[in-house]
Amino acid sequence: MRLRTARWGLRTCRGRQSPGRPCLLRHSPCACGFRVRGQDGRRVPAARVMVQLRPRASRAPASASAMVDEGQPASEEEAGHGLLLGQPSSGAAAEPLEEDEEGDDEIDDEAPEELTFASAQAEAKEEERRVRETVRRDRALLKEKRKRREELFIEQKKRKLLPDTILEKLTTASQTSVKKSPGKLKEVNLQKKNEERGKGSDSKKAKVQKVQTVGQNKSYMAVRLKDQDLRDSRQEAAKAFIQNCLYGPGTNRTTVNKFLSLENKRLPMKKAAAQFLNNTWGSQRKQNAKRFTKRWMVRKMKTPKT
Amino acid sequence: MGEFNVHRVRFFNYVPSGIRCVAYNNQSNRLAVSRTDGTVEIYNLSANYFQEKFFPGHESRATEALCWAKGQRLFSAGLNGEIIEYDLQALTIKYAVDAFGGPIWSMAASPSGSQLLVGCEDGSVKLFQITPDKIQFERNFDRQKSRILSLSWHPAGTHVAAGSIDYISVFDSKSGSAIGKMLVDRQYMGVSKRKCIIWGVAFLSDGTVISVDSAGKVQIWDSATGTLVKNHLVSNADVQSIAVSAQEDSFVVGTAEGTVFHFQLVSVTSSSSEKQWVRTKPFQHHTHDVRAVAHSPTALISGGTDTHLVIRPLMEKVEVKNYDAALRKITFPHRRLVSCAKKKQLLLFQFAHHLELWRLGSTVATGKNGDTLPLSKNADHLLHLKTKGPENIICSCISPCGGWIACSTASRFFLYRLNYEHDNISLQRVSKMPVFLRSALQILFSEDSTKLFVASNQGSLRVFRLLEGGFTHLHSFQPQSGTVQSMCLLAVSPDGNWLAASGTSAGVHVYNVKQLKLHCTVPAYNFPVTALAIAPNTNNLVIAHSDQQVFEYSIPDKQYTEWSRTVQKQGFHHLWLQRDTPITHISFHPKRPMHILLHDTYMFCLIDKSLPLPNDKTLLYNPLPPTNESDVIRRRTAHAFKISKKYKPLLFVDLLDEKTLVAVERPLDDIIAQLPPPIKKKKFGT
Repeated sequence: MRLRTARWGLRTCRGRQSPGRPCLLRHSPCACGFRVRGQDGRRVPAARVMVQLRPRASRAPASASAMVDEGQPASEEEAGHGLLLGQPSSGAAAEPLEEDEEGDDEIDDEAPEELTFASAQAEAKEEERRVRETVRRDRALLKEKRKRREELFIEQKKRKLLPDTILEKLTTASQTSVKKSPGKLKEVNLQKKNEERGKGSDSKKAKVQKVQTVGQNKSYMAVRLKDQDLRDSRQEAAKAFIQNCLYGPGTNRTTVNKFLSLENKRLPMKKAAAQFLNNTWGSQRKQNAKRFTKRWMVRKMKTPKT
Repeated sequence: MGEFNVHRVRFFNYVPSGIRCVAYNNQSNRLAVSRTDGTVEIYNLSANYFQEKFFPGHESRATEALCWAKGQRLFSAGLNGEIIEYDLQALTIKYAVDAFGGPIWSMAASPSGSQLLVGCEDGSVKLFQITPDKIQFERNFDRQKSRILSLSWHPAGTHVAAGSIDYISVFDSKSGSAIGKMLVDRQYMGVSKRKCIIWGVAFLSDGTVISVDSAGKVQIWDSATGTLVKNHLVSNADVQSIAVSAQEDSFVVGTAEGTVFHFQLVSVTSSSSEKQWVRTKPFQHHTHDVRAVAHSPTALISGGTDTHLVIRPLMEKVEVKNYDAALRKITFPHRRLVSCAKKKQLLLFQFAHHLELWRLGSTVATGKNGDTLPLSKNADHLLHLKTKGPENIICSCISPCGGWIACSTASRFFLYRLNYEHDNISLQRVSKMPVFLRSALQILFSEDSTKLFVASNQGSLRVFRLLEGGFTHLHSFQPQSGTVQSMCLLAVSPDGNWLAASGTSAGVHVYNVKQLKLHCTVPAYNFPVTALAIAPNTNNLVIAHSDQQVFEYSIPDKQYTEWSRTVQKQGFHHLWLQRDTPITHISFHPKRPMHILLHDTYMFCLIDKSLPLPNDKTLLYNPLPPTNESDVIRRRTAHAFKISKKYKPLLFVDLLDEKTLVAVERPLDDIIAQLPPPIKKKKFGT
């Protein structure tokens, strides 16, 4: 398969071949010191030698197979030298393309074609029409795009705004609040009252505008900042620092029990640790047992009434 | 004396909070102590080390530094970033100024007392000017890389040393620029990954800087050249505090192991004039970290996580070698935290953030002297009442009938009505509070539970009448004359006619409740009042002072009683006057007017006024002699003060009825069991 779309450029081995070996690439005389010979043994003039450079990456798989195919004749050619050119899948080294050389020769030798005026005119008209068509199509496409985008924006805007019914309610509510005194906000019909606000606010604090949760799904809740405990991150960090310094890893701390029991261990009569008994063990079981005993005593008092 | 069944109560789970900072004021000989829960207490060291005043704590106020400034002004700074000034007359907080540097770690007042320096979390050292009514920000010193954990002024006020993490910087106080930096080794002659935290610095007038750090070293530097002069390794754990005496010839350091070391400037040989710092005395009075030390002219003061305040007078500084030169350890509170409703046998315990109501158990058995009687009904925990808000409770009281509970924090007053049906108890809060009733220093109910007396911190005394649904304001007595000397104490007579209030320097005021006016004033005494009570029938006011003097004043006659005059003429027994702890509660026997029951932390005493008084030669503490002794000897050795040391340490003792006593004890081991972990000590053989 001929690679017409391959790139062209002046090829050279850049002197990379070792001087002692024959240069496997066909190129103009260069440092490797070998003259290149064409397929038919003729010497190839330098200017006219075209080299197929690395094909594009997108076409690499296709070209790989093509190059492998091409590689066959190349390798056959150089088989005589006793070497095989390994063809990489992408990026082929500069390699000769014999077929197009032959094509070039053909174009050079043949006479130009004859064209009538009418056909040329027809062709030109055809060309123009095509161009006009493409332009029109492009413009139409752009218009379509613009229209679609506008619609999308309108859709989004509509989605962002609240439904009409609630907007109505809001406007009426604001109107009524403007009419009445600020202290009478309670009379306005609200959808949902936040419990915190209801508890804490009174008519004295009417300046604070109440937040109306108008969403249908009530996915958020307004709370007062005073009710949340403000955690000062710097204060927490400072407390963590001092805790780490005094009681963190690396400090040699022990439990109070062990500390107080040190003396007990050294007495001539060794005693138990200071907190040997764990009085909190089984508190629930002890409570149950106490209750059971009480009930049993009551029952015992009742039954032997013979 | 009589036979009593004694309820020994040990279920009051009282745990004091650890001491964080200590500041000594030389002019007034007072000590300000701040604890980890934010409470600040003022001890009067010349009034027998009595805790005169206190400011209740707050959850967000973690105090890290405390200092006195010129004119008896007390400032504190903490991790919430605010500098707080305390009003010692009104017993409130004057104001809080935010330093805008993050949490504040250290604070120092200049030697002249007019400037305040604050070391913050972000590495900045801020200078404030102390104006007559507020403090004013003046300048920032050069900002350092890490937090400033300790500060010290040069006695001339020209330089400032600031200890940080791994280094100490020296600033020039006029310009605020850092003129020197001294790098501290992380470990004594070794390498360590843990950073070296400079817990304390002290600047002496000859330019030496003494630093104590977390590697256990005490280092002496020359600030002019920035070089290390001497290195003392005193401990394996951190050395957390340092205090220098005013004469600069001795200083004291406290370690995390609980040891306190005394360093003195001693001449090298007996004839030479060259002096050096030598570690002279170790003291082991604490079990946990000693986080604060102070040096008064005659004593070393230390306090730490184990909640004791230890005052150790130095023998070479004390002139008169008497009992005053003994070690003082203040562990238990100097005021009453327990109230008792006698008729229903209820006890109300006051904690920092909640109240507990317990009903005492009962027994049907009888026994001889010294027997332990088994309980037929156990003590019952009836109520656990939490107060809202971050503030600590100042005072609380339960009415004698058990129907009302009142308590107060610094900004709110709570009153609850209790109803008892069979074994159940129901609680109802009285919500309508008058606006002027914000905080109370002392609360008291009258004997018939119809009146409530509240001493507020503006100095006024208010009387309320208790009704079924709430209470109404009857009368306010005007603010008492004289400056506030200590916390107000109240006492009401059982017949409801008289009300006594103490706390000012003018003496104890006695008011007539029925006519709502001032009746008389007991002459002022120069030691603060520690306990106050009015006897039934005779209406004698019994006052106990912090120097262990007890006076009896007759209210109807407006003069001291005969017995009191006799006691004052003869004087108390010397062992009585040498007791460490103040008397916190006085009560009376309903049927025997000659008996007074009073107690302090380590003893309770029944004074029998009909018996002769002991002189200095007789044995003060004489428990019951064996019965085979003849009657004559018993009569000869008997004296008025019948002391029992059987139950200690005592928080509260009262007479429930004629045959029953209740003694609330708090063993020290139970307190220690709930403290934070101490440093490990390795002993041979364990």
